[in-house]
Amino acid sequence: MSSLMRRQPTFGCFLLLFVLLGAASLLLGSDQAAAQSTPPTAGPLSPLHPTFTMLDAEGRNVLDSGAPVSTMRTCGSCHDAAFIADHSFHADLGLRSMTAPGQTASGRPWDTSDGMFGKWDPLTYRYLTPAGDERLDLSTAEWLMLLGGRIAGGGPTVTSRTGDPLTSLPLDPASPETSIRTADGEIAAWDWQQSGVMEMDCFLCHLDQPDHAARTAALASGEFGWANTATLAATGIVTHTAAGWQWNAAAFGDDGALLPAYVRVQDPTNANCAQCHGLVHTDIATPLTIAGCDTANPQTATTGQVISGQKIAQSGVNVAGKASLNRAWDIHAERQLSCTDCHYALNNPAHVQESDATRPSHLVYDPRRLDIGEYLERPDHNFARGQSAQYTIAPELKGTMRRCESCHNTDSHSAWLPYVDRHMQVLSCESCHTPQMYAPAIESVDWTVLDADGGSVVNCRGADGPDAGVDTLIEPWTPTLMMRGDIDGGQQLAPYNLISAWYWVYDDANGATRPVPLADLQAAWFEGDAYAPELLALFDADGDGELSSTELRLDSDAKTAAVAAQLAAQGLNNPRVEGEVQPYSINHGVARGEFATRDCQTCHHDNAALHQPMQLASFLPGGVVPAFVNDANIVTSGDIQVGDDGTLHFQPAPEQAGVYIFGRNRVEWVDWLGLGVFLAVLASVTLHAVLRFIAALRRPRHTPELKRVYMYDAYERFWHWLQTVAIILLLFTGLVIHRPDMLGMFNFRYIVWVHNMLALIVLINAAMSLFYHLTSGAIQQFIPRPYGFFDQAILQTKFYLYGIFKGESHPLEKTRRQKLNPLQQVTYFGLLNVLLPLQIITGGLMWGVQQWPVAAGLLGGLPVLAPVHTLVAWLFAAFIVAHVYLTTTGPTVLTDIKAMVTGWEDVEVHAHAEHA
Amino acid sequence: MNQSRYIWVLGVIAVALVIAVPMVIFWPRVAQTSDNPWTGVPKHPAHTDHKDIIKGPFTTGQEVTQACLECHEEADDQIMHTVHWTWQSDPVAIPGHDNVVEGIGKMNLINNFCIAATSNERTCMTCHAGYGWEETPYDFENNLNVDCLACHADTALYAKGEYGNPAEGVDLTAAAQSVRNPGCDNCGKCHFDGGGGNNVKHGDLDESLLFPSDSLDVHMGGHGFVCTDCHRTEDHAISGRMLSVSVDNENQIACTDCHQPDLHEDERINAHVATVACQSCHIPAIATKNPTKVTWDWSTAGQDRPEDHYTYLKIKGDFLYEKDVQPEYLWYDGAVAYRYLMGDPVNLEGPTLLNPPGGDIKNPDARIWPFKIHRAKQPYDTVYNYLLPPTTSGAGGFWTTFDWPSALKMGAEANGLEFSGEYGFTETWMYWPTTHMVQPKENALQCESCHGDNGVMDWQALGYPGDPIKWGGRNAAK
Repeated sequence: MSSLMRRQPTFGCFLLLFVLLGAASLLLGSDQAAAQSTPPTAGPLSPLHPTFTMLDAEGRNVLDSGAPVSTMRTCGSCHDAAFIADHSFHADLGLRSMTAPGQTASGRPWDTSDGMFGKWDPLTYRYLTPAGDERLDLSTAEWLMLLGGRIAGGGPTVTSRTGDPLTSLPLDPASPETSIRTADGEIAAWDWQQSGVMEMDCFLCHLDQPDHAARTAALASGEFGWANTATLAATGIVTHTAAGWQWNAAAFGDDGALLPAYVRVQDPTNANCAQCHGLVHTDIATPLTIAGCDTANPQTATTGQVISGQKIAQSGVNVAGKASLNRAWDIHAERQLSCTDCHYALNNPAHVQESDATRPSHLVYDPRRLDIGEYLERPDHNFARGQSAQYTIAPELKGTMRRCESCHNTDSHSAWLPYVDRHMQVLSCESCHTPQMYAPAIESVDWTVLDADGGSVVNCRGADGPDAGVDTLIEPWTPTLMMRGDIDGGQQLAPYNLISAWYWVYDDANGATRPVPLADLQAAWFEGDAYAPELLALFDADGDGELSSTELRLDSDAKTAAVAAQLAAQGLNNPRVEGEVQPYSINHGVARGEFATRDCQTCHHDNAALHQPMQLASFLPGGVVPAFVNDANIVTSGDIQVGDDGTLHFQPAPEQAGVYIFGRNRVEWVDWLGLGVFLAVLASVTLHAVLRFIAALRRPRHTPELKRVYMYDAYERFWHWLQTVAIILLLFTGLVIHRPDMLGMFNFRYIVWVHNMLALIVLINAAMSLFYHLTSGAIQQFIPRPYGFFDQAILQTKFYLYGIFKGESHPLEKTRRQKLNPLQQVTYFGLLNVLLPLQIITGGLMWGVQQWPVAAGLLGGLPVLAPVHTLVAWLFAAFIVAHVYLTTTGPTVLTDIKAMVTGWEDVEVHAHAEHA
Repeated sequence: MNQSRYIWVLGVIAVALVIAVPMVIFWPRVAQTSDNPWTGVPKHPAHTDHKDIIKGPFTTGQEVTQACLECHEEADDQIMHTVHWTWQSDPVAIPGHDNVVEGIGKMNLINNFCIAATSNERTCMTCHAGYGWEETPYDFENNLNVDCLACHADTALYAKGEYGNPAEGVDLTAAAQSVRNPGCDNCGKCHFDGGGGNNVKHGDLDESLLFPSDSLDVHMGGHGFVCTDCHRTEDHAISGRMLSVSVDNENQIACTDCHQPDLHEDERINAHVATVACQSCHIPAIATKNPTKVTWDWSTAGQDRPEDHYTYLKIKGDFLYEKDVQPEYLWYDGAVAYRYLMGDPVNLEGPTLLNPPGGDIKNPDARIWPFKIHRAKQPYDTVYNYLLPPTTSGAGGFWTTFDWPSALKMGAEANGLEFSGEYGFTETWMYWPTTHMVQPKENALQCESCHGDNGVMDWQALGYPGDPIKWGGRNAAK
């Protein structure tokens, strides 16, 4: 027994623990029998549910027959039990969709369905052997014994893979459906008629005190037919004695029906669901405790989600910084929602709503629905479900659940969140509302090595390991955001935990790839109770004769080869390491308001939390870089990378999925080009200025004849300076938005708002000045006249290149009616006809990305608009440098600037003007 | 030219305005409550040290009062208009009674503990803010009987004794020199120890508030409040009242005197404010530090049984103290639904409710409040069917003679009641709204506390068809 126990994986240990507990409870059974003969609490739970007769599979009263209860017969005497079992993915578990190995969406060569029955899970490792395989890992019977704690009954526990009753199958030890691997490794036939089958267990979910442990123990011991009866162990209706399960006559009335006090039927509560799914804690008075990433609570162990209304600060969990966590583990649990409020029966008339797709557009609400009686007779036990990455069963039901926004109004964000609609397009609600996880979750599972108990090496996020005690310090961890591909084709960033797994596979006699059966893996690693000496010598770095978790690392070719050799010695062909990464969706553990992400720079920043890599493993077992599984609902939005230190990370890169995040994403060459132009202009004018200065020193002061001209009227000056100030502020605020990492002292959100407001002012100012120029005719000044244009342009260029250094006068006269020289004309022509409109259009569409996403999309969306906007901004900045410098080329350095202030300019008197 | 020289200043202003004005007008404002509760907290001026002002010596309390009045000329008149002195109200209409009553208060009401003050002056008047109330009627016009020291002297130097006179052995000169603004110790002398011991009556007022921890009371422990920070006082009239003796909804103190009612960040919680008193969530338990009396059975008094301070005393009968008492939740509109007055008939069908709170689910001004309900059995006249206040302390009182008929006869006479000679014991309930020992949000009740499977609210008793989370609130059906 001890050697068997040592050879079992972690899950097997739990299993055996259950068996032992079950055995212990049997020994104590006679004492408990007396105590349990009265119901735990008085009175029926449901005022409506009548008493009923407990029937066995033959339809006889169990009091008379002493046989196990048949739920199909008992509950089926009123409810349409066959309908229920037929409409339940909890019962089916993938049986209906079973295919030949390797045909499923997961892409694993050995998977035969998309449900628990046939889909391999590296966390539990053992796999359901398909018919015709070389080696038997799990037969149907052992699958049920091993995983019984999570199986609701019906489906594959009643029906064979070909659709026949299991009890009708011939006793064929060669078939994985009617065989079992005995303790000594032999394959024997399994007699379903003798063991019984497990019908769908109504009691498990519909009683207030189902005895999950007794039921699991019955399954583990192969008493499948008694499992549903064992679920009643805590009700007082049945007791376990040395002779087996005995019906308690005191619980039944003279008519043979249950006494009303024993009818403890109810709608499923969170506690019912928790038996198989995850950590649920309903009693706020008792502090919740968590011990490591315990796989007994699969949902919590894989995601860190805890369903409890208890405040984290008041729980018994040793979370770092918990004093400030005055929030519930899950806001919906705190608000008294139960699992079934969202995951309701799909034909529940209280919840059912026709989808927009099939509902005629003229109808808002269709009042025709099942009446309560019809529903109670045939309640659909397919439950509304979300977009989970990990549960792939019944994909046709994905997205049937109401979404956050079906109940919540996202407008409530508008008081503080800019671009609400845009954020809602790109982000799932969970992205901000599950910012941190406070329970440990599995990070990696390494089956390439085996620990001393014959199980895998598991690493957890947030805690030291799966076996950490309740006092272990838990560091909150941040889920990574990946692009989720919804069932309706939509895409949103959503939080995930990523679990990496490594394991050995081999090519079997049929040439098919299979994971190495645990028995073979254990035979390779162990000789008797001890590690195989070859492996021990290789792995035992400190030579203490034991392999610690730090030594159990397949981190060299020699080790890989040694284990492979051991496996080959078991007759396994071509043993090799494979790895995979399974994303686990995080949808529960929701926080409200102040505990949700509210800081813009969580995303809009170079070093934002959004972009932090998530560690997948501290090293690469067997040197194998794993890949994402094929059937998760993710769209490529990051890379799996091996760091310089050998660690494996997922590096988020939402831009791979077409997301452009201001303050985070930028096109490097645009910035370099823009900066280059800007610096080139700056350098040119600086050089020019220096040369002018030197030239001026060398020659006598030239005093041209000047006359005072009223050059700019008040409105022209006003719009010029308004535009000046607004554009400079726009450039500055734009820079803050572009590089918040360099200018982190500014509030991102307000800067965005100021930028938009300034843009509106510039737009209005430009429009008004255009109106002015059009109506006053001043617009003509900006239009280059073809006649003599090039001559004059050449003259002006030569002046700037030579004449200005020789003290020559400006070649062209500046008058009130002709303020601009040809170079200015052509510059402004480009500025006002190309750059400004381009900036207005790109900026407007970026602002309007949530108002008119289609329009923005036509131009390539943010990934195109934003870089163009950035480049034009650089050109504007360069223009300003040149523009300001050229104003200093008048008779004195400040003449032109003064003119734009006062309107009066001292202009050189030109000879031809005097003649005129 | 000159006039246009500074025209650029106008330009600068114009440009600045064009940019700044829309910014200011349209600046995104996050709704912020202007709630600064500290604005509601009074500032107490530093008190003048009287050590060198008061000379003495004094031999009687009245001499001390005389000395006080030399400077504080109006103090006696102010005190004599407060209930701390009069022990009764102005004429008031009382639900359940036809006529306006002359005035009710501690002087003439029956309570659920030591039952009545009149005829028990020796002990009860220890807490009267005056001297020498030896028998009723008392001379309320004698201003020298005002006891300044009870509220202003250092409680280490002053205490009151029989009939409200200074306790024997008190150094009145030292006590008078110690006067200062009233501290919680002054208030607590009577309000913590009412009913004959620490925390007997209220449940939410006890000696732990003298040195309160953060977890005991967020105001007094967390922020160093004293009683008079909330019980604001003007001309010696102290605000606030208690359902045990006051029947109308006047002169109340409310959380909203300082706090905004909708200050919760969570809209759902704010939606509760119209229905649930702040106290209901923020005072999840009563008597969190020291136990409080929850039952008192006078019918077993006088027996020669082993005595125990927490369960049985010969002079008092059986009683029960409890700690961390879960409040009982009732509608309350600030007034009583009824007040038992001396001579009212008792309820022979069940308990007689001395001061049931007013309001029900249909009354929009009523909210669900946490109550301590004290349940007692006290003597009544089985012929006349009214409660009988016994004389307990003093000569001939029950605590000396252990003889009910004579004690009841004395008490009845003093209170102007006929006593038939036949008596029995009947159950009486007294309601104490809970309002002290406030807890911050971290320790407040949570959704689950009321809306969970074993919630603290009895929805159907409150008038709901079921948990309003599913059945809708009282405004839902409108």
